[in-house]
Amino acid sequence: MKKLIFPCVAVVSTLLVGALLVVIAGASPLLAAQYFLYGILGNLNGFVEILVKATPLMFLGLGVAVAFRTGFFNIGGEGQLYMGALAAAMVTLLLPGVPGAVRVLLAIAASFAAGGLWAFLPAYLKNRLGISETVNTIMFNYIATMFVGISIRGFLQDPADYLPQSARIEEAASLPLLLRPTRLHLGFFLALLAVAVVWFIMQRTTVGFELRISGSNARGAACMGIPVRRSLLLSAVISGGLAGLAGMSELLGVQHRLLENLSGGNGYTAILIALMARNHPLGVVLVSLGFAALQVGAATMQRQMGIPNAIVSILTGFIVLLILCQGLAEIRRERRKERLG
Amino acid sequence: MQEFLTIGFLTTFLSAAVRTGMPLVCAAVGEDTSEKAGIINVGLEAVMIAGAFSGFVAAFLTNSLALGFLCGMAGGVAVSLLHAFLAVYLRQDQNVSGVALNLLVTGITSYLYLLIVNRYGMPQVETLPALPIPGLCRIPVLGEALFNRDLVTYLLYVVIAALVFFYRRTAWGMSLCAVGENPRAADTVGLPVYRIQYLAAAFNGLMAGLGGAYLILGQLGVFYENITAGRGYIALAVVVFGRRRPLGILLAALFFGAADALQFRLQALGVALPTQLFTSLPYILTVLSLLLVAKRNTDPAWLGKPYVRSRR
Repeated sequence: MKKLIFPCVAVVSTLLVGALLVVIAGASPLLAAQYFLYGILGNLNGFVEILVKATPLMFLGLGVAVAFRTGFFNIGGEGQLYMGALAAAMVTLLLPGVPGAVRVLLAIAASFAAGGLWAFLPAYLKNRLGISETVNTIMFNYIATMFVGISIRGFLQDPADYLPQSARIEEAASLPLLLRPTRLHLGFFLALLAVAVVWFIMQRTTVGFELRISGSNARGAACMGIPVRRSLLLSAVISGGLAGLAGMSELLGVQHRLLENLSGGNGYTAILIALMARNHPLGVVLVSLGFAALQVGAATMQRQMGIPNAIVSILTGFIVLLILCQGLAEIRRERRKERLG
Repeated sequence: MQEFLTIGFLTTFLSAAVRTGMPLVCAAVGEDTSEKAGIINVGLEAVMIAGAFSGFVAAFLTNSLALGFLCGMAGGVAVSLLHAFLAVYLRQDQNVSGVALNLLVTGITSYLYLLIVNRYGMPQVETLPALPIPGLCRIPVLGEALFNRDLVTYLLYVVIAALVFFYRRTAWGMSLCAVGENPRAADTVGLPVYRIQYLAAAFNGLMAGLGGAYLILGQLGVFYENITAGRGYIALAVVVFGRRRPLGILLAALFFGAADALQFRLQALGVALPTQLFTSLPYILTVLSLLLVAKRNTDPAWLGKPYVRSRR
């Protein structure tokens, strides 16, 4: 019984906050709820769109979860995504003679490597010089955006256009669409595959054990002869690589052009996804689907009623606050005892 | 390159450096105090944007800059205290709670701002007028940069001088640092650890909120989504780069201000490099500045760790 109280309180208060925000925007919460539900359940397109939106969140959330477990606070998913997308764009656009499928495979490898490198640098700086990764990974986000910005105004710019974007990547070198006319693409299943692989590595292999133990008890791990610093580097590379794959999947599956706003802040959302999923790979899948539904529903509310879709970030942040406050009752009890004793 | 060497160029350049550095100084001295008490607020960005937004809205609706600044500081204090509550009372991971606050507050300000735009169009406010100090502002080059400024900047000089005195010469300043270094010892000698942490967090909110409000009401006159653009994170680096001393922080922030001012001038001179390179300069410099001071760790020993009184 007690276990159910918190989820109920959380769901009800989140709905109330959502309704309050809609009222502030001068709209009817009931109508908004209708559009929200219609957006995600009203037709096949909307429903499949959830899977499409969940794809980058799964890659990114999984990456963050791996890093968190090893004690690397990677909040640079956004930048790692852009580096991955940049690498994938270079491979697919600059090797026109190579067969499409080969280019896709190369793009997958390149995006993993580029994202991994972008996480490796702050991890190395943390290991070697003790520089906190918190500020560094954020700064690397801005710097990655800079690289993308320069590339799509320079050597990657679409020669047929003045807009800051790359040329269109042809269908042969893209991730195949699976369920026309919806936007579902192979990336979703690649993300599921990544979840399975990461789960296996983390839970069933020695390396995974070393990664987990380095995060939960670094001193103990060192005493057992586990290379804690190398574990940190490895988990950073896996984490960044997964974020890079998110960039590849958005580029070759959805946008087909390298753009400045390819991610739209998903790299930051992923941090909270990992948190809510308690860093568990399967949890990441479920939470990502939930968030994707929130995004799709909110997009419908924005289209139909003009409710700003920043509502998604507000609700996300609010839910995380609730989770952080979960221990409130217990701590109050403990404090009372402290005062009496 | 001739343009670089004239007195006129140097004067406007230094002036711009002080101008762009000021919001960073505000946020960084606040954060420094909070970190000295053991609380690291990665949500500084959220505190700044809360200050910027509430200050902007208050000033726009009441037409009073003073009320704008007050509301900006109040908004900052609210967010910072929320962070302190999560960190001190609930003993949550301070990084996590900071990131969550960033997302939440950025979302709230964007949401409300779009609603305001829908209703009032693009709102604008008058910015704080300059208030040259007679005599001092006539000093060549430096006078213009330091003494032809506005009230908030002068106030900040006073705050920094007061902080230098506070940390060096007062028992309260020592107590504050003791809490961040060894809360158990501080507790044992009877210092109210939690209360000191909340007070430090409130001061952080006050200053970072002021910094956010100053960005809008002292400089830009407009608000838009995500207007602080990472300044909160840069301020976190400024604290480290300034070696956690008020004067060091002032200089570090001015260095960042100077970099920003320089990139604008280089762009205006038409230096043939991509614009993105210039606008990213502060972020690149942040990474480099952290590298530069990396080996000399000045972190308080108990930074970021929750202090649990009943557990030994």
